[in-house]
Amino acid sequence: MAEIDQSGGGKKGGKKRSKKASTKIDMTPMVDLGFLLITFFMLTTTLAKPVTMQLSMPDKTDTKETSPVKLSETLTVCPAENKIYYYQGIPGSPDAVLQVTDYSDKGIRQTLFDFKKRIGNNFTIVIKATKEAKYKNMVDLLDECAITDNKRYALLEIDAATEEMIKKSGK
Amino acid sequence: MPKVKAKRQSVSLDMTAMCDVAFLLLTFFMLTAKFRPEEAVTITPPTSISEKPLATEKGVITISVSNEGKIFMGVDDKEAQQLMLERMSNRLGIPVSAEMQKNFMASEIVGYPAGALKQVLSEKPSKWKAAGFYTGIPCDSANNELFLWVTYAKMANPALSVAIKGDGNSNYKVFNQVVGTLQEQNINVFQLITGPENKPRN
Repeated sequence: MAEIDQSGGGKKGGKKRSKKASTKIDMTPMVDLGFLLITFFMLTTTLAKPVTMQLSMPDKTDTKETSPVKLSETLTVCPAENKIYYYQGIPGSPDAVLQVTDYSDKGIRQTLFDFKKRIGNNFTIVIKATKEAKYKNMVDLLDECAITDNKRYALLEIDAATEEMIKKSGK
Repeated sequence: MPKVKAKRQSVSLDMTAMCDVAFLLLTFFMLTAKFRPEEAVTITPPTSISEKPLATEKGVITISVSNEGKIFMGVDDKEAQQLMLERMSNRLGIPVSAEMQKNFMASEIVGYPAGALKQVLSEKPSKWKAAGFYTGIPCDSANNELFLWVTYAKMANPALSVAIKGDGNSNYKVFNQVVGTLQEQNINVFQLITGPENKPRN
């Protein structure tokens, strides 16, 4: 062990003998330091592996006939900052009833599940983001579509009739 | 009978091996760690349950949208980057010196109006942030430079895929603008970069 010898100088006289220094040193602090650094780096490293979500938009130049979607099988969803509006039918018409829900798993997720159960495989979600919607809200909504296993969704620009309906409802 | 003496064992043990392991691990982690790629601004992407990793083999154009709605673009293909600058400078009639090109190539990020190209590229990339050059690429109907940059990059390497990295709190309008711009070039598949999130159990 590497210790400072403080006992020296006791004997006077006598033969001077060169003291053989031990080659062993105490490694404990060094090991401590090593593991401290390892722990530090491991805890501070963020595993920043980005994941991606694929978004496919329809081809604008493609004029091929697209399969029509029945109005009764669609749900229009309008994400706003902290809530989501949704309705079925043509905006502005009396049978389109605007409803509000939130981003929680009891909110929009349950709604999407319910509609999917009722409508079946042809269920199509139309997403019209409102003006105050954040990018996060849109991604959350796409995420909900993925969670509820809905592959049929479309991103559209919000139209005046929908905006008017949201405004009128005051929700 | 003599007393049986319990043999005193030495309490100090040889730490050399442990020390070796510790430092070996330390060196390994330090050498394998990758630096975080430079960013013009800090962007916190929203989270999603998606588990697909970003496909980077064929090169990616990353379009970042900051919190304030500024747009930045990065290309990880050096050749495409060089051609981008050549075509852009030809279009604007700005002669590009060797030094300007070097500065352009040193940073992956384009985040300034093309009009400021000369001023920006006369400085080293490390000074751009402090000098406030990252003002974003204009992307509106009157002056859509993002369209040009993406076109030039795609001309150089058509295999480039497009990733969009938006800040969670950026406005949806900006994202819509970016997507609209890209759709004009018939780019219809995007990879939205998100953070990981746990899948709900059900």
